Amino acid sequence: MKADVTVIGSGPAGLTAALSAHESGAKEVLLLEREEELGGILKQCIHNGFGLEQFKEDYTGPEYAERLIKEIEKTNVRRLLNTMVIDLTPDRAITAVNPEKGIFQIESKSVVLAMGCRERARGSIGIPGTRPAGIYTAGVAQRFVNIDGYLPGKEIVILGSGDIGMIMARRLTLEGAQVKGVYEIMNYPGGLKRNIVQCLNDFDIPLHLSHTVTEIRGKERLEGVVVSRVDEKMQPIGGSEKFIACDTLLLSVGLIPENELSKGAGIELSPITKGPATTETMETAVAGVFSCGNVSTVFDLVDYVAQTGMTAGRNAARYATGDWKKERPSVEVIPGENVRVLFPQRYSFQDDLILFIRSAKPIESPLSIDISPLEMHIKKLYARPNEMIRVKVPRDKLKDITESIEVNITER
Amino acid sequence: MDVEKKHFTCVTCPIGCEIDVELKDGEVVSMEGTKCKKGQEFVSQELGEPMRILTTTIPIKGAKWAMLPVRTDRPIPKRLLFRVIEELTDIERRAPVKMSDVIVRDIAGTGADIVATRSMNREKKGKFV
Repeated sequence: MKADVTVIGSGPAGLTAALSAHESGAKEVLLLEREEELGGILKQCIHNGFGLEQFKEDYTGPEYAERLIKEIEKTNVRRLLNTMVIDLTPDRAITAVNPEKGIFQIESKSVVLAMGCRERARGSIGIPGTRPAGIYTAGVAQRFVNIDGYLPGKEIVILGSGDIGMIMARRLTLEGAQVKGVYEIMNYPGGLKRNIVQCLNDFDIPLHLSHTVTEIRGKERLEGVVVSRVDEKMQPIGGSEKFIACDTLLLSVGLIPENELSKGAGIELSPITKGPATTETMETAVAGVFSCGNVSTVFDLVDYVAQTGMTAGRNAARYATGDWKKERPSVEVIPGENVRVLFPQRYSFQDDLILFIRSAKPIESPLSIDISPLEMHIKKLYARPNEMIRVKVPRDKLKDITESIEVNITER
Repeated sequence: MDVEKKHFTCVTCPIGCEIDVELKDGEVVSMEGTKCKKGQEFVSQELGEPMRILTTTIPIKGAKWAMLPVRTDRPIPKRLLFRVIEELTDIERRAPVKMSDVIVRDIAGTGADIVATRSMNREKKGKFV
């Protein structure tokens, strides 16, 4: 099978990338999805708050997905469902498998990676104790409740204050479960403010910062967890242990990009975002392979995911149609003071540079985001690690850069 | 009358302004922290009748999945969230359903309709001939 642009994954990033590649002139666009429907994780995110920026509408996840799917259905983008990509080579040969074709090959002029991310599970955070039933990641519980119609338990403790965890706190409360509390190891919340207000405060669910689960008890089924306060080094403080009876523990302890295919293709990964390093065009270190959405770096908002999808799709179409010239080598984009996450990692002088920044710590006083060597200082009233900051640097301001671009957050 | 202080986190947009309000005899005498007019509107709404969109699921028969996601088509009073959930207890649909199809009109007297938030086709099952 041959294609101009092949998009792997049909969540918000992949749907947007496929549409954008089609609209940008790619003739044969192929969209591969391992599940039996398009839409990715949006299908189980039944809450609202999607597309406020992109569509100026307050959609639920399924509505947002269906809007994009309807757009895709009007085009000749070829959609292959139940299709799992099992290998990608550096010269863009894709090996996939599905029930109709068995194992088959796709040669594509360009490829867009849009596989999204995975949830960190108990193994990644190493909680001691027994191994009973009743411990789920928040996203798995979300699937059980919203798609399959099963309530995972009746007395719930949530570890981690990521957005999905807080959204599940509300969801399970509405379905009649008792959510006893959300425990967060950091001294600031992991998710968006609107979720703290609408998912926790609205239902009087307590959020305990600087706390973690230090023991799991129960033989067959979870009987309870021990929570402890942690010190500034995130070490449990002896004597602060408290037992909380519960039958279910949900983990909302972070997401990591899905990297199996990227690694196989020899794509350079960023130690900071944990996903493929890309330029502002979303091109990875492997020519003609682009990456977007949560496979690149975990975003807070679907609008940001879609924005990177649109950029990746447009540039993948340019690459496929031969409209791709690199006149000069790209430069590095380096995170400086107070910057924990910075995306993208390189600038290749082809487009405006749209930076996504996470601060290293919460700063609740006026600050400036300094982009050097440009004399660009963007003033902000605060910066919080749980709220990505987006900064656009116009292309014409960047044309004289020769070495690298550094981003610092300076407290004023 | 004493001045009563209240704190709100505006959830109109992702910025999430932290708003401090001072009330005297139930009237707002000062408001700090709003970055736009919507923040002020949010606070007066929260002080009067806080409104929320409700999203939940109902069982669906004859579809690929067990549950159909639904929502109120407009915000409803926060105090009625559980009443609406209760009224939805026995509601069930049969596929096919189209996105935005009305499932229940004027749920719990809120004036809001419960609508489907996705389409679901009828699943074709194998049949003996």
